Amino acid sequence: MALYEHIYLARQDVSPTQVEEMTAALTAVITEGGGKVTKNEYWGLKSLSYRIKKNRKAHYTLLNLDAPHQAIAEMERQMGINEDILRFLTIRVDELEEGPSAMMQKRDRDDDRGDRPGRPGGDRGGFDRGSRPPRRF
Amino acid sequence: MAIKDLTTTTARRPFQRRRKTCPFSGPNAPKIDYKDVRLLQRYVSERGKIVPSRITAVSALKQRELAKAIKRARFIGIMPYAVQ
Repeated sequence: MALYEHIYLARQDVSPTQVEEMTAALTAVITEGGGKVTKNEYWGLKSLSYRIKKNRKAHYTLLNLDAPHQAIAEMERQMGINEDILRFLTIRVDELEEGPSAMMQKRDRDDDRGDRPGRPGGDRGGFDRGSRPPRRF
Repeated sequence: MAIKDLTTTTARRPFQRRRKTCPFSGPNAPKIDYKDVRLLQRYVSERGKIVPSRITAVSALKQRELAKAIKRARFIGIMPYAVQ
């Protein structure tokens, strides 16, 4: 069976318990279709970088799936019908990531990192100019 | 009449002197993951635009993967498309 990473966004008005219920319902769809859910990560209510369907925050959930494509298609179909789900992204991967994902690991390092070191090219100025810098050879 | 001064061609090449290796190749290279916003933000300008590889010295293959990851991150809303 194929390995997928799946992220879905639930709108901010629903409570975390309702998000859990939604995840449970979706995993039921997957298992009925003959698949497995290997990881279920709830990233919490995060602020969005831009408004999605007039929401500024959303509940993020990450699922690692091992399922046939029909189960995935059925799950996506149901997600499209559900009004509380804003967006979802399913990606086929060659191998599933074990352990906490990059998002969860980053949380622990948030305090240590502080300010990032200078971005490459950020201090050069004129970065977003329309024309390229003059080529001198 | 302006004649190109060839004697000063090697003087200033601010955008060409970084011939570093690709940060994603070699041992202990970080894996490009669309969920890792911290890593992706280093390759995005202040306005949110993807930085060209001639600036960051990312190899062509990794630049394509990076661009794909940034676009996925933008789609799920953890990175902005544009910043004012």
